[in-house]
Amino acid sequence: MKDAEKQLVLLGQCEVECVIVGGVAATLHGSSLTTRDLDVCYNRVSENLARLTQALRSVNARLRGAPEGLPYILDEETLRRGLNFTFQTDIGELDLLGEMAGVGGYTEASENADVMELFGYRYQVLSLPKLIAAKRAAGRTKDLLVLPELEAILEFQKREETD
Amino acid sequence: MERDAREELLLNPKPGTAAAAARDFGIDLTLTIQNLRLTPEERIRRLDDFVDGLKQIQSNLRWVKKFPANTRDTIPS
Repeated sequence: MKDAEKQLVLLGQCEVECVIVGGVAATLHGSSLTTRDLDVCYNRVSENLARLTQALRSVNARLRGAPEGLPYILDEETLRRGLNFTFQTDIGELDLLGEMAGVGGYTEASENADVMELFGYRYQVLSLPKLIAAKRAAGRTKDLLVLPELEAILEFQKREETD
Repeated sequence: MERDAREELLLNPKPGTAAAAARDFGIDLTLTIQNLRLTPEERIRRLDDFVDGLKQIQSNLRWVKKFPANTRDTIPS
């Protein structure tokens, strides 16, 4: 197993409630562009923060870019006090988003989310129209670059539905 | 593999469509079609393989010659 697969399996095993967003969602929808990190929009209810904490601890998650030795306690309270986190883990980069520009939080992200079965687990994947909205709202060059392809895929999918 | 009619519309899009805009932007829609033919699980495995390959290239890379950053070459404006 390689990084993205391991990360997805971890989230599935730990029953973390989340929606796959970002570049991996783009890949799942058919984009040919490449990403290195898994971004998920997570449910911030207590039970889910506990499951997320367990998952993150199991792969030695630490804040990406933070100085070595910076005291950091990874627990439910830390996740509750923060919102968006970028982690380096033993199985690759994993970003947790409590909110996303252009979409909102977990409730909005999971609304109309696609559900895909991968590696024996079921995952919510941000719908393509919302992914396009999120990329547009993020507005960074790297987000804008992926828009034309995502819009072409959306057009392709709509044609599929009408055929 | 033969292309179906929808795939043809991605490769030879009509003016004004999103596919035409993507092509004009420089997106290689042949790669998109290849991905669309895969299952989501196959898409993730393909991404993983590609990223893994890039990591291997980076870790095995040995510079033979490298121009200094302050080389006299200039970037054309």
